[in-house]
Amino acid sequence: MTDPLVTVDGLEKYYYENDTLLDRLTGAEPEAVRAVDGVSFEVREGETLGVVGESGCGKSTLAETLMRLREPTGGSVTFDGDPVFDLSGADMDAFRRRAQVMFQDPFSSLDPRMTAGEIITEPLAIHGVGTGDERRRRAESLLEEVGLSADQIDRYPHEFSGGQRQRIGFARALAIDPEFIVLDEPVSALDVSVQAQVLNLLADMQAERDLTYLFIAHDLSVVRHISDRVAVMYLGKVVEVGPTEEIFEDPDHPYTKALLDSVPRAETGEQDRTIETIRGDVPSPRNPPSGCSFRTRCPELIQPPGLSIPQETFREIGELRTRIENGDIDVALRWEQVGDPTREDRAAFADSIYTEAFDTALPDADEATVREAIRALAEGEREPAAATLRERYQSPCEAVEPALPAGDHPAACLLGEQPDDVDAAREEWEADRDAPGVDL
Amino acid sequence: MTDLLRVRDLSTRFFTEEGQINAVEGVSFTVEAGSVLGVVGESGSGKSVTGLSLIDLVESPGAITGGEIWYNNPDLAERVAADQPAAVDGDFVDLRRLSEAERRSLRGSAFSMIFQDPMSSFNPALTVGEQIAEAAEVQRRASANPRSTRARTQGYGLGRLLLDSVLPDRSYTTEESWDRAVELLERVGIPDPAERAEEYPHQFSGGMLQRAMIAQALAGDPDLLVADEPTTALDVTIQAQILDLLADLQETLDMSVVLITHNLGVIARVADRVSVMYAGEVVERGTLEDVFDDPVHPYTKGLLGSVPDIDRPGDRLEPIAGNVPDLVDANMPDRCYFADRCPKAMTDCLTRPPEYEVGDGHRARCVLAERDYSEADAVPEGRLARPADAARGASDDPTPTTEESDD
Amino acid sequence: MIAPRTRRNLRSELSRSLLAKLGIAIVVVIIVTALFAPLLAPHDPEDQNLDNANIPPIGFTATENQTSTEMVDGEVQIVEEEVVVNTTAEHPLGTDSLGRDVLSRTMFGARTSLLVGLFGTAIAVVLGVTVGITAGYYGGRIDDALMRFADVMLAFPSLVLAIALIGLWGQASLRIPDPLVATGIAPETMPGDIVLPGTVIVVVALVNWVWFARVARGEALSVRDQEYVKAARSMGGSDLHIILRHVLPNSLTPILVLATIQIAAIILLESALSFLGFSGAQLSWGFDIAQGRQYLSSSWWIATVPGLAIVAAVVGINLIGDWLRDALDPDIEGQGGAP
Repeated sequence: MTDPLVTVDGLEKYYYENDTLLDRLTGAEPEAVRAVDGVSFEVREGETLGVVGESGCGKSTLAETLMRLREPTGGSVTFDGDPVFDLSGADMDAFRRRAQVMFQDPFSSLDPRMTAGEIITEPLAIHGVGTGDERRRRAESLLEEVGLSADQIDRYPHEFSGGQRQRIGFARALAIDPEFIVLDEPVSALDVSVQAQVLNLLADMQAERDLTYLFIAHDLSVVRHISDRVAVMYLGKVVEVGPTEEIFEDPDHPYTKALLDSVPRAETGEQDRTIETIRGDVPSPRNPPSGCSFRTRCPELIQPPGLSIPQETFREIGELRTRIENGDIDVALRWEQVGDPTREDRAAFADSIYTEAFDTALPDADEATVREAIRALAEGEREPAAATLRERYQSPCEAVEPALPAGDHPAACLLGEQPDDVDAAREEWEADRDAPGVDL
Repeated sequence: MTDLLRVRDLSTRFFTEEGQINAVEGVSFTVEAGSVLGVVGESGSGKSVTGLSLIDLVESPGAITGGEIWYNNPDLAERVAADQPAAVDGDFVDLRRLSEAERRSLRGSAFSMIFQDPMSSFNPALTVGEQIAEAAEVQRRASANPRSTRARTQGYGLGRLLLDSVLPDRSYTTEESWDRAVELLERVGIPDPAERAEEYPHQFSGGMLQRAMIAQALAGDPDLLVADEPTTALDVTIQAQILDLLADLQETLDMSVVLITHNLGVIARVADRVSVMYAGEVVERGTLEDVFDDPVHPYTKGLLGSVPDIDRPGDRLEPIAGNVPDLVDANMPDRCYFADRCPKAMTDCLTRPPEYEVGDGHRARCVLAERDYSEADAVPEGRLARPADAARGASDDPTPTTEESDD
Repeated sequence: MIAPRTRRNLRSELSRSLLAKLGIAIVVVIIVTALFAPLLAPHDPEDQNLDNANIPPIGFTATENQTSTEMVDGEVQIVEEEVVVNTTAEHPLGTDSLGRDVLSRTMFGARTSLLVGLFGTAIAVVLGVTVGITAGYYGGRIDDALMRFADVMLAFPSLVLAIALIGLWGQASLRIPDPLVATGIAPETMPGDIVLPGTVIVVVALVNWVWFARVARGEALSVRDQEYVKAARSMGGSDLHIILRHVLPNSLTPILVLATIQIAAIILLESALSFLGFSGAQLSWGFDIAQGRQYLSSSWWIATVPGLAIVAAVVGINLIGDWLRDALDPDIEGQGGAP
């Protein structure tokens, strides 16, 4: 296990919207949906690397791009020394024989008009391996290996249950004797008891045939069960990667911690377990937040240097600022609620929003700043209101984009160790802030 | 703790071309006032149909074929007792014996339901506020005319439709209902509710839309909320938020919740009592502690054993062998439905088991509640083959609502 | 092409649909008639006999105004008399103005309609499905280009386009010797050739292929996103392999339904063309309707009988098409997950 089998380096897959002829003529800017936004990791021979994340994190796109089922917009993937995106012809065929995929949906991953035998032997047929009889025998033995019966070889997918269909999909992936299999949520659509059956099968096969797995899932308990190492993804980036034990017992990145916390445990006493649910929704990959993409929801958001207020208050101020910046607050509506159509009583306006946004009292200096911002908002001056708050409360996490440092268990978070260029960027930002003219 | 709902021997069947499907068979359970009942089961267990049956939302070709649903409501009991004394037992009314109109009037006001996919539960052409206000409006009219079921649903006819299309400012809902809608949105934790109410469903994220659905379900101040897989389609961090919300609402509104899910973690997080379903039956029920710490039925044990533990990873999971049975009546065997997959099947299991009492309020449909497993009484090989099944794979998703045909 | 489960479904569905059986019965009768026309027809459809002109069908009466000259009061006068025309068993459905047997003409006319309907639809299907699947599978500019072209074709009113093309290419037809007559099974008096109106067939195909292209494209679009297509690509399957092995078979169900219904539409189109005089065949339902149009108030059966034949054919085919669409509809997989 020296050189890794698969190396992913800065992989990017952007989808461009507003990119048709008509848009270009009208001068509309192409918007990029950053499905995979600079991902790097490696998969070592014989191991299972789990990739986990919620919807919109890009893990499925990662799987498809890595396997060159989609063309990347940037970055590279190396498979056993070969650059995957430069392959063609016979080399490409060879790659397609050594790397296979198992898909998620038991209902659409098998062609409904082909028999189980035909489905399993299709890769053999494509690559011209074996005669018709040989292939059929191979299909029969594969069926048995995955826990089905060889005499089901001529049955159609609709005659099998979900778990059985996944087994057929797995047999198909094994047919051509690959070394590396990407498993894209292989058990997510299955019932719990069936899921366990299939997981055992996957583990057994890996041991027997010395396979390398890239296992993609959103279910953390499943990932922990089957992976040697785990990569956690958020909004197209890997935020933390490391050995399974360490990730689960000692996570570094706040998102990983929140993710682990959120999973409900199937045991009595779960109701007494207090968790800090992270607030807000996953931002859109069309417009990821600047700096660290998790900052809009992060409980451990770093306060700017020189500021020291309760973390909860800091976050509440941040949320108010976001609402102002996004235009979520309808000024006219608020004036109506306050009952002052002349819009003179800004203090009342400020009160209404202030009490709504904050549960606890703020320190004086902060209360003053916040009220000033809200009063600006009252006059319809959204940008100055936001600027007032930004000046005082902008977190380094907003301005500096964290990255994965080197090491066995890196986390892309400014709270921990960071690569040199990130440290430099942070220093620069702090210096700019301290420049004369900025009044704290 | 008083009981809000007592379900006795409920059966729901679907009459399809493939035959009669016994989706729910002889199911009994109790929902206490102000508590959460978790109904857990896999595909084909009948849990969703049970939920629909409680609210009388089962549609053709399905129908509730037997049993009683006793609902604790003294006012209603008094009203009904005059006409139908047989449907009343003290403060309880048997919902099945009420008229269609009466049952419909209870939907929204006494009972409410939320579903798995919030996006398809909202009309994409109306604002979210409008739709919640509509629910509030229906309730407002109902309480204005408690005796008239017509008043409740009156309002939308062809005439109104034409008028509304032509005159710009008319709307079905009143300002009072709109205010209530905004209030409800705030109650479920949506920031800037007044602004959000003017937006359309596609502008909401999955989590927010699920909150909106909960808001709509609360419009009538229901006594019971049935939640069918409310978090299955959501990310785990959002799920945590929604579960917190449900627990919080349940407490402050003193509302009962029947939470239907296949996720044991979710059950553990919010449920007070649990019913485990398999093949249309309740195979075990009791408090959360009873079922999780002291399970009797081998299916319950098997289920708990096949869930990977996020805190303590084991080497191997212990799955339950085999597949869920298909629920077509002709194919259902005349024995314990789980026996063919059970590691502890005995000759006793060759007859249909009744519910045995394991402890106070803890019941299991398994003879192991009374006696221990003994090798000597084990069922011989081959005795448990299913009637219409051989080496064929049987579907493990025999949901009657799909059109899949298995012959 | 149709999954085995669906075949079983179809059989049981069929047993339950009276309308479908009716449709099939009608169509079978028409097919048999067309195939064995030389054997079944009582007369040579082209056999003219002016003495027997305008005989009504059995059970109906018709009168003719016969004119003759007579001497009345020493002057030659033209006298009109109404004479009853006798029906005869020899011509059960009557004769036309040239004395040709209407029944025989209608029977042979079935051939033209069926040939044009079947061949025309077949060509339209091949053309439309090829274009549609290519557009749907590749997407992007190929899709744009092909579909804009299809839109342009669609913009032409079909009848006008058909007439224009026939005007351009002429009414060429192919004559194939009729095996039944050649081998002597059928009487020699019957027409010795089957006439295949080539131009008309090509033209109706060109006018109709766009519908198939659209449907095929839609199907290809949805099949393209299925995971089994991704799986095939990850195995190293080429585009052609994927299209032929996966996309095409899974797209055909709605095409089949559409084809059935389009046969009827094409038959109608051919009849319209014949009616207007643009057909290559002299023995066609449309042609006969054209002939009989001027006699509608007197010898109404000349136009009506072929007209009814068209109605029957179209109704029969549509019944089958409708039933097929409904029967193949639950050809979708059930959804997984917990109910």
